[in-house]
Amino acid sequence: MTLKAGFRRLLERVLLKEIVEAMAVTFKHVFTRADTVQYPRQKRRLPDTNRGALVLLHYEDGTERCVGCTLCEIACPSHCIRVVSDQEEGKPLTRFAKEFYIDMTRCVFCGFCVEACPVNALAMIKMYEYASDDKRDLIFDKEKLHALGDLHHQDAKAYLVAHRQEAVDEESRQYRYRHPSPLAK
Amino acid sequence: MEELGHIYGTVERFPKPWELDPAKPLTLTIDGEPRVVPPGTSVYDAILKQGMALPSMCYHASFSPFGSCGICLVEVEGKPNLVRACTAPVTEGMVVTTDNPRCRDGRRNAIEKWLLVHPLDCPDCDADGNCELQELTYALNVFDIKEAKRRRIPEDTRSPVLDFNMERCILCAQCINVCKEVQLVDALGFYKRDGYTHVGAKGDTTLFCEFCGDCLAVCPVGAITNKHAKYRFKPWQLAKTQTTCAYCSDGCQLILESNPVEKRIVRITSPLSWRSKWGQGIDTSLGHGGTCGRGRFGSQYLHSPQRLTQALMREGDSLVEVPWLKAITHVAERIAEVKAQHGPEAIAGLITARCTNEEAYLFQKFMRQVIGTPHLDASARYGAMNAVLALRQVMGRGVATVSVKEITHARVLLLIGTNITETNPLAGLRVKEAIREHKAQVIVVDPMKTSIAKLATHHLAIAPGSEGVFLRGLIKAVIEKGLASPAFTASSPQAYEAFKAAAVAIPMEAVEQRTGIGRAQFEAVAELVATGDRVVTIFAEGILARPDGYRHTLLLLDLALLTGQFEKPGSGLAPLWEENNEQGVVDMGAVAELLPGQAFAPQPGATLVEILEKARRGEIKLLYLIGENPVGTLPAGLRVREALERVECLVAQDLFLTETGRLAHVVLPACAFAEKEGTFTNWEGRVNLVNQAIEPPGECRPDWQLLTEVAELLGHPMAYSTAAEIRDEISRRLPGYFGPEGNPRRPALTIPAYLPDGFAEAVPARYALPGDGRDGRDGVMALVLGQVLFHSGKLSTRADGLTQLHPAGLLTISAADATRLGVAAGGRVRVTTPSGSAIVPVEVGAVQGRTGMADGVCFFPEHFTDPPVKDLLPCTVDPVTHVPAFKAGAVTVEPVPPDPDEPAKPGNMISSGPAATSGGNGA
Repeated sequence: MTLKAGFRRLLERVLLKEIVEAMAVTFKHVFTRADTVQYPRQKRRLPDTNRGALVLLHYEDGTERCVGCTLCEIACPSHCIRVVSDQEEGKPLTRFAKEFYIDMTRCVFCGFCVEACPVNALAMIKMYEYASDDKRDLIFDKEKLHALGDLHHQDAKAYLVAHRQEAVDEESRQYRYRHPSPLAK
Repeated sequence: MEELGHIYGTVERFPKPWELDPAKPLTLTIDGEPRVVPPGTSVYDAILKQGMALPSMCYHASFSPFGSCGICLVEVEGKPNLVRACTAPVTEGMVVTTDNPRCRDGRRNAIEKWLLVHPLDCPDCDADGNCELQELTYALNVFDIKEAKRRRIPEDTRSPVLDFNMERCILCAQCINVCKEVQLVDALGFYKRDGYTHVGAKGDTTLFCEFCGDCLAVCPVGAITNKHAKYRFKPWQLAKTQTTCAYCSDGCQLILESNPVEKRIVRITSPLSWRSKWGQGIDTSLGHGGTCGRGRFGSQYLHSPQRLTQALMREGDSLVEVPWLKAITHVAERIAEVKAQHGPEAIAGLITARCTNEEAYLFQKFMRQVIGTPHLDASARYGAMNAVLALRQVMGRGVATVSVKEITHARVLLLIGTNITETNPLAGLRVKEAIREHKAQVIVVDPMKTSIAKLATHHLAIAPGSEGVFLRGLIKAVIEKGLASPAFTASSPQAYEAFKAAAVAIPMEAVEQRTGIGRAQFEAVAELVATGDRVVTIFAEGILARPDGYRHTLLLLDLALLTGQFEKPGSGLAPLWEENNEQGVVDMGAVAELLPGQAFAPQPGATLVEILEKARRGEIKLLYLIGENPVGTLPAGLRVREALERVECLVAQDLFLTETGRLAHVVLPACAFAEKEGTFTNWEGRVNLVNQAIEPPGECRPDWQLLTEVAELLGHPMAYSTAAEIRDEISRRLPGYFGPEGNPRRPALTIPAYLPDGFAEAVPARYALPGDGRDGRDGVMALVLGQVLFHSGKLSTRADGLTQLHPAGLLTISAADATRLGVAAGGRVRVTTPSGSAIVPVEVGAVQGRTGMADGVCFFPEHFTDPPVKDLLPCTVDPVTHVPAFKAGAVTVEPVPPDPDEPAKPGNMISSGPAATSGGNGA
């Protein structure tokens, strides 16, 4: 070590150079806008692609989209979906999900189920606040999934569009399966 | 058509398969490699035989090629267009290319043709994931579908178990071909409606057929669906367990498909499917891998809400639910008590032949070793023992001497006393294959015009109950025409002399008059049976469950000896048992006089009827029933109820609370076949595995486990933790019983030992004609209790799928008798015997359109206890085998005016169902 370099180090220590530099950074932020969101008083605006809670959707006329094909169950990597399908009474051509459960404690929010759904019955919404002190509340049943879907219909649609599930809905309709209208004998 | 030669020119005629020299094989080139195939082979088969695969949708090994799908396209040198390989026969020097861009394009176009009109409702479809169209679409890379249009065809949901969705149909006609060529039922066909081709019951009517479900199995798409399972599953969700059917003694392999989460059987399939199209996993000479309507649609009793799930114990007049341990402790205490007070012989047991071999073995061990009583019997006593003891006496072992393979390849089939297509549909299918494929001569001896009689070459409609007389006449005809086997006459001259002397003594006029069969027909049948090179005799309830069943089986054996059936390969006797494991319970020694391996017991115990007799006398204090229901099975004339009421402790192990269970002191819930492990032995002697598919409900346990628990409490621990351990013990005791080398085991014939051994003395008594039981009074008809296609025992009446197909017991009478009595279908008659009378609704003509009734005969399905027709009939007990025969008798039938207060009961089964508007194609 040369004498010159040693003198400089001594001077830096005496004049507290590192602290001054650090404080300069700190004080610079006193004059900028804060990024902290005051949750839960404040909430972030989420992008349309956000993967929040899973929901089930209705068609515009109020009929259920889900046909109980269980493809979501197959696609799910964490095996958190369970579908029990059945035949609708009096409509021999209508298959539907009699029961539909998503175990949100096991969901990894990969969105594969939404990709797999041939009728766009599943979507993800921006709502993520479903914490509970009872784990059983986190197993969403069909009723709850539909209620959430109705409540957050806009978000769900936006998700499907953002993920190119429904971007060209009209064009892809012929490859998307819809229940046939009940046929008269 | 020579006169058209100037228009069309001359055509080189293609040689028919039989015009080709079978000794001269053909050579062809497949993909550049020379191959040699026998003449008559199709190009598709030739390609398959070389170990190469060619896609196709309408081909199936079990029937002849149809050529509707157009996917098996190959290029043949010299042909301008691609050729459908399945329908093109190989010609000498053919050059075939199977894989080039042109063939691949052709196949893709064929797939695309169907995708354009296929609804693509895969998410909805039951075949999704198990669909040939899907698989081939991916395999052949068909991804570019042009303008698709959807056929709008309503679904046909009229049939009771099958739904036809013609939007999805690709018109491959596999369903039609399997129905026509394999089943010989021919219920399905193409028809046009609204401009589209449909598949369904012929003439666009409601389908009411035998409901074997083979059409459902071979459908490559989801066009035919199972109404009971529809939309409730996806193929990949279901756990598949291969097991053996527990209805009849054919031992068909079933695949139980269960929902692993709900632990319920969703549907039942069989090895037959579009995936087995090249014959994989199925040997068509043993069976095409299918099953019958009972096996496929009759599983609902497993999940019936009436199933017992908890042990019941009698408290006062009622049965109350108790914990399982309490019930079983009570049983053990009572057994110890009775044994100490009255000795072990005061205890008896009955077991059903629906349980596994392991349970039957353990039951006899429990009764004989733990308790020390010889009084035990099985439901094989209801008929099978007649044949078992007769066969055992002659051949050393009571088992069929042929298997289904011999039935398939038989030249002559003699079916006597069996309605084979109703009781054993899959064995019946082998007879049908013998008719269709091998052009066998089939002689059906049955008073009724059964389904097989309609297909047979010779139907001898004998008078009801004259089977024994017919056999005597037939043996007389064989001897009189000098048709006896020279080998037999040379080796056993004194036996032949005894037969001859007995035959001469038979008055042929009386035989002709009693059976209603002329001498010429006897001689024609004798000629066929004696000179045919592969002769198989099939007999069942018409011989076994009738009076003198033992003697009649011996007569059949005499006929077999006389005509040398034991020397000719491929010939022999096939007794068809009623229940699934009657062979097994006999082999396991769960009957009074036999030990495991059919060895005679040194001290034979009381048989079924004797046990009940002893119970009535108060000698049996404790009766242990496993799945047996004597009150519901035996006629009231035997006073079974009275006998069981006198028993101090009646223990019943069963699935349901039966009529007998209601009398019991302790009822233990048992497991059904889908809930336990084990083996069943079918009528051939083939041992089939039973595998567990679902968990037993509630506190149900397998019967063997209940027995080991009771034994343990009695201080005789039976250290078995699985059924396989019992099986190990059986195979140590009966080496080779489960082994592949003896499966099915054929008895080592001991005929030379049998013949001199007191044989000649027994012959004259056997050939004496019995008295004519009929009285000449007017209006007396012969009532026959028998099995029907959609039921087996009484268990099947708890399966919704089967009760839909056959809801109630109706008395079937012939059209002439109906006119004579003045009743129409839906009317009611009073059936009277000395034991009482019952009012029964009537069906006219045939049992559900299948078994045609002869004049003077009426038929009632034995499965139904309401109205109590079985209680009207007398019961005769065979003096040698102690088999109670109670399924036939003379009755008076008189019309009853309809009851105005009661709503009209559905008369004809077919018109009561959804077929009401169509008139019923089966009627």
